[in-house]
Amino acid sequence: MTSAHWTLIIVLCFAAFSIRIVGLLAGDRIRLSRHSWILDDLPGLIIVSLVAASLSGEPFQTWLAALIALFVAVLTNHVIATMGIGVIVYALLSLFVF
Amino acid sequence: MSASVHAGSSQIVAVEQFSGSSAVLGAALAGAALNLRYIGIIASLSELLNGLPLRMKLLAIHITGDENWALTMSERAKSKDVGASFLIGSGLVLISVWTASTAGGALVGAALPNLEQFGLGFAFTAAFIAMARGLWRGYPNFIPWSFAFGATSAVIWLGLPKAYAIVAGAFCGLTASKFIRHSRGHEQ
Repeated sequence: MTSAHWTLIIVLCFAAFSIRIVGLLAGDRIRLSRHSWILDDLPGLIIVSLVAASLSGEPFQTWLAALIALFVAVLTNHVIATMGIGVIVYALLSLFVF
Repeated sequence: MSASVHAGSSQIVAVEQFSGSSAVLGAALAGAALNLRYIGIIASLSELLNGLPLRMKLLAIHITGDENWALTMSERAKSKDVGASFLIGSGLVLISVWTASTAGGALVGAALPNLEQFGLGFAFTAAFIAMARGLWRGYPNFIPWSFAFGATSAVIWLGLPKAYAIVAGAFCGLTASKFIRHSRGHEQ
């Protein structure tokens, strides 16, 4: 590792942590304001956006596995069960269908 | 890097940029910009972290990743007993596994087969679907969540990085939510 590598790690570490600090300060300000509803709505919206980002541009097989995972999630409301069944369905679709 | 930065997509982009140009500041800024969603993620932890000593808050926000944050919020929606201990405990597990697995990947990753075909990558998608289910509060979520999903997909379709699309999606969802709340306020 060269000094440039170490510099990159230190600068990125500082930048990434600064963003988290901004989030912490913003959260405290928002929580005490009349816009505190934002903090209630934000988690669901970010998670839905994460799902959309992971599905975007993926083949039909991934969307089908996601639909089945959604069905399992609605029925069970259980993270591990949804993950397990989702991965098994995805692997089976990969190996035997698509 | 994995232990000190703890941001997957940022690390990948920074390293790619650095290997292409060797410009440290540009690579770091490009990587950090992909982490902007953490402003929203950490902000949403405000109530959960409230009352903790500052050093514990700083530890908690460093070890928070997409997965343990989403799991914490999802479980907290089921029980208010889930709090900072859950976030910090799951965060310590996450950063340990992340650091060990990236180190392992750097050492032997080239010798491994493509794990994507076995559904390893899809595990995260399925987990996020389950966590979204945990946060679902019924019909009032439908329109904002649809806007968030649609906006994220549209931004990616336009060719922008997924990390920016997530920020745009959450912002559009919030805008829709504000509009709905505003409309209801006028009706009442």
